[in-house]
Amino acid sequence: MDFDPFSLAAGWLQEHLVIPALYALDLMQWEDIGFGWALFAVYGAAQVVVTLAICWPLEHWRPVERWADRRAEWVDVLYTLIARVGFLPLITFVLFYQLQVWMNGWLTDHGWVPPTLERLLPFLLGRQVLTFAIYVVILDFAEYVRHRLSHRLRWWYALHALHHAQRQMTFWSDDRNHLLDELIAFSWFTAVALLIGIPPLQFPLAVLLLRLIESLSHANARIGFGWLGDRLLVSPRFHRAHHGVLAAGQRSCNYGAILPWWDMLFGTADFGRDYARTGDPKADERLATGSYWQQQAVGLKRMLGA
Amino acid sequence: MSRLLFVLLALTPLFARAADLALVVDSADASLSVIDMAHQTELRRIPVLREPHHLMLSPDARSLLVGDSAGNEILFLDPRDFALQRRVPVADPYQIGFSPDGKFLVVNGLARAQVDIYDAASMKLVKRFPLASMPSHMAFAPDGSVVYVSLQGTDKLAAIDLHAMSVLWVVPVGHAPAGVLWLRGQVLVANMGQDDVSVLDPIDGHTLRRVKTGRGAHQLFLSPDGHTLYVNDRVDGTTVALDPVSLRELRVYKIPGGPDCIDFAPDGKLWITQRWLKRVAVLDPHTGEFHSIDVGRSPHGIFLTTDLAARG
Repeated sequence: MDFDPFSLAAGWLQEHLVIPALYALDLMQWEDIGFGWALFAVYGAAQVVVTLAICWPLEHWRPVERWADRRAEWVDVLYTLIARVGFLPLITFVLFYQLQVWMNGWLTDHGWVPPTLERLLPFLLGRQVLTFAIYVVILDFAEYVRHRLSHRLRWWYALHALHHAQRQMTFWSDDRNHLLDELIAFSWFTAVALLIGIPPLQFPLAVLLLRLIESLSHANARIGFGWLGDRLLVSPRFHRAHHGVLAAGQRSCNYGAILPWWDMLFGTADFGRDYARTGDPKADERLATGSYWQQQAVGLKRMLGA
Repeated sequence: MSRLLFVLLALTPLFARAADLALVVDSADASLSVIDMAHQTELRRIPVLREPHHLMLSPDARSLLVGDSAGNEILFLDPRDFALQRRVPVADPYQIGFSPDGKFLVVNGLARAQVDIYDAASMKLVKRFPLASMPSHMAFAPDGSVVYVSLQGTDKLAAIDLHAMSVLWVVPVGHAPAGVLWLRGQVLVANMGQDDVSVLDPIDGHTLRRVKTGRGAHQLFLSPDGHTLYVNDRVDGTTVALDPVSLRELRVYKIPGGPDCIDFAPDGKLWITQRWLKRVAVLDPHTGEFHSIDVGRSPHGIFLTTDLAARG
């Protein structure tokens, strides 16, 4: 009835790699969850390819900066692969699934109907795209609040500075986050997703969609969406102002992930800055140019000392 | 003449026999696929809340129950056309089954590690059994006195006395046990983490023997005539036919895509869900040939309306 290359690819992955591996490891009780991971790994891999296909030409077409030595980017590539294809989608799905099942089961047992948008607005049942869009808008607002707090609170910014330390910001830089920062962000996102009742299978898709637009907004590309467009969707120009050297630290601007509306609403939007130099001048040099594990260690030490 | 033709055409729906339909539960699509059995094409999809897995016909055959585990509800559908009758909130209804006497509805909560016994008439919870872990499939003793539940996460099988409402015994079986079947006074358990089926004594659960089928033995189905036992193997991608008396292997059918649930059509064909291929295979067990019908993602439980005629 419908051609779905993602499901077919995930099915192939499940049948030929995941299931034989689970069988060999005596973990066959997780075979159903394995298919969920296979789906998200396929979506994640496709997203990396799409991001590369869109952002790489843009960065070469209209670069903001040109660098002779691009070695500092490679660690960001590693962050991206871990976050989108490998370990994190698996943890995200398994944890979220278990949490939602337990919370909703407990609510059902106590005579409460677990929250879902479709129960609140029955016309949404079966309209998965529209429902998904509404969930994404709500989650994007939650991301704005979390991001603003991660700058405002001293200990949190000590971790988040890893993300801002990159002086060679490219589309790979979006996933450049301390593991603890990722964990807090995941818990926050999950708590909101549970409260609004997003379906388990839509949850990582929402993460992936947000991340796709966030990758674009980190691109080293001289691209704005025009006066109106910049106010509808976060552009590379808009988000670069957030990563500018003058905006690093506890008082920043343009926190929005995909929609600039929240910045406009709460007075943190700055549409006036044009393609600033990026980085955090106060951050430890190892956060900018160190290896993956050096960055993790320094980030943790800074947080404990904050 | 044309007036006569018009009248005949107008009356046709009154005499037309309802089309035979198949309902397939698309676990990863939050939907149910409705298939026209004659033309073997998907007609429509019925949206559900979250993640439906299994279904079960009520003892009076007036309702088809579909458990939506992550949606925490059971949908009651008209088994002839799948129109929604009602929705009942139930915690984590992964697998559902009526006791043969129709008194109880047993609900396995796989993710919540619990087996709930409901009074089937009132849908009131009678008793909850927390059982570690992942209760997945079930079978009943023919007199309805005991339900046997596979515990996929702890490699065990539990027997629950439905009269005393107590756990009779919990015994180790093979790895990741899934499908359970009562057959000729014995309990059969498909060991998904292995390549065999355990045969157990229903009195105390001790293993009498093991029968090799294929890697990832998952589900067991007895054909309506009782002449063939089919076992689906998830890793090997096979449906294995066994003699139900001797448990000797009769034939092996290669069914790719993680074969799972089966329903039997009146023409003798097997309708088998292929979990990872988004398809349902229609297998002719005589020729060994099959063709597949596209459905939603991760098709799991399946029901054919022709089962209603078989029930009389």
